[in-house]
Amino acid sequence: MSGLLRKIWMEVRWPMLWFSLGLCAIMGLLTALLPKILGNIHTVFDKMPIVKPLITALLGVDPGDKMSSQLSQAFLWVHPTVLTLIWAHEVMYCSRMPAGEIDRGTADFLLCLPVSRWKVFSAETIGWLISGVCILSFGYVGHLTASLTVQPEMRLSVPHTMMVMANLAAVYLAVGSFAFFLSALSDRRGRAIGVAFAIMLASFLLNFLAQFQDWAKGASWLSVMEYYRPAIIIQTGTFPWFDVGILLCIASAFWIASGVTFRMRSICTV
Amino acid sequence: MSVVVAKDLCRTYGSRRGISDVNLTINPGEIFGFLGPNGAGKSTTIRVLMGLLRASSGTAQIFGQDCWSEGSTIRQDVGYVAGDVRLYSWLTTRRGLSMISKIHGRDLLPNGLRLAERFRLEPDLVVRKMSRGNRQKVALVLALAHSPRLVILDEPTSGLDPLMQDTLMMCLRELASKGHTVMFSSHTLSEVETLCNRIAIVRDGQIVEDSALSSLKVQAPRQIVVTLQAEQLASDIQWPDGVDVKYMPSALPEQLSSTIALMVPPSLRDRTCILELRGTSAPFIRWAAGQNFADVVIGSPALEVLFRRYYES
Repeated sequence: MSGLLRKIWMEVRWPMLWFSLGLCAIMGLLTALLPKILGNIHTVFDKMPIVKPLITALLGVDPGDKMSSQLSQAFLWVHPTVLTLIWAHEVMYCSRMPAGEIDRGTADFLLCLPVSRWKVFSAETIGWLISGVCILSFGYVGHLTASLTVQPEMRLSVPHTMMVMANLAAVYLAVGSFAFFLSALSDRRGRAIGVAFAIMLASFLLNFLAQFQDWAKGASWLSVMEYYRPAIIIQTGTFPWFDVGILLCIASAFWIASGVTFRMRSICTV
Repeated sequence: MSVVVAKDLCRTYGSRRGISDVNLTINPGEIFGFLGPNGAGKSTTIRVLMGLLRASSGTAQIFGQDCWSEGSTIRQDVGYVAGDVRLYSWLTTRRGLSMISKIHGRDLLPNGLRLAERFRLEPDLVVRKMSRGNRQKVALVLALAHSPRLVILDEPTSGLDPLMQDTLMMCLRELASKGHTVMFSSHTLSEVETLCNRIAIVRDGQIVEDSALSSLKVQAPRQIVVTLQAEQLASDIQWPDGVDVKYMPSALPEQLSSTIALMVPPSLRDRTCILELRGTSAPFIRWAAGQNFADVVIGSPALEVLFRRYYES
């Protein structure tokens, strides 16, 4: 296993570092700037009515005419840039194997080593979990550092932050497992990434459309954002067991399906 | 016990044919040549043996274990180089050896570095800066470093210069002399002819010949150049069975193939017959001894001709 982990480390260390530093910087900037920007959001709502449903869709609750400091902090955790960075990193990571390996022809070398496919898949999973911990931790560090510049009453309490992060980690697991599954089905990494992003975008749009369309509201349970509501966590102060449970079930189902598909499929690089 | 056994092995790619009813047995210590034109099914057979492809039907076993379900155990003792070698761009020979050492659970660095030296490979040069031939060498070093009991090489000499091809042949002969088994796929006859002691020919996904090289040589036709005495007439000669007259002196073409041209002195072209002999040469030699010919030159068995027949028929 250590040989495989070393190989993964050689391949993902730089992207992981850059994405982590990027998230750290973005979280820091948003933590410092969002309360100031969102404090005057009512003027934006007046000029651009479309912004309010968008924020409502992202937060999962109606922000009213004036966003509280707590809701401002919640917006940080659902900000499209933050989610895009995290998802981009993990979709890129999870599509490396087997789709990426087949695509660049290195699958022959890797899978003809004396290791079972389950072991290869497990090593990839360990690498994915470690990189997830790393990228989310860097994001948290960025947020924590920048929150020192914010007035104390506008800061999010540590228990609340941890609950939101746990929910975000569950989203990370669900999205990554789904990307693994697409990768296990595909011979082309670009295709796997494209499909993953298209579905994530559709999930995002569905969540947004649910504000306006009844049919979309009926189907909103299909959106991953339905199970990630930092604003509600911050408002109620309760851990979202149900949402996290659903996300973990999705993650487990896709992870097992990915492993089984990868174990059973023929690898054709020629 | 046989090292490799394939029984009625079939593999299709949707509606496309891959291989069908492939039966193979490779014994310990053999250097087994797997010949066939491009797209004949060599790589498909090898990929099924390596557990990369699942057989549509039939069985494939290595060391008595199923290639699909017991692949990881089998591969402990198998070295494999794919037809189109692709390696990680960050890999160096040393990093690769260190990685496979961890996977095999023993230190393969000393043996691997010795091999790298034989192949004149810089151990710390990264793959992205290497030529195709050097990448091939890295793959060979990584495949041979653990001295596997079975080496499966899919067209391994492509990209290697002649000197490195010789080094590879030498390595493989050394392995075979120690009882290790080699399966060597190629579409080039000459390299298989110099290395292997048994050959299978695959065409259109099926094995059309599986014989020892010596018995194939018996089947292969030989070119014979007979120079007649000045007073002899070719038309008067009763050629023995097994001999086909290709050219009488009057019909000898201006341009002869290079191998025959070497055997025909220009001054004697008008007294030269070119024959093709099927079967062993001993009866012909006995017959020719009583014919009072000026000269008889018997060429070596033309395996090329035999293989062309298999490929083209």
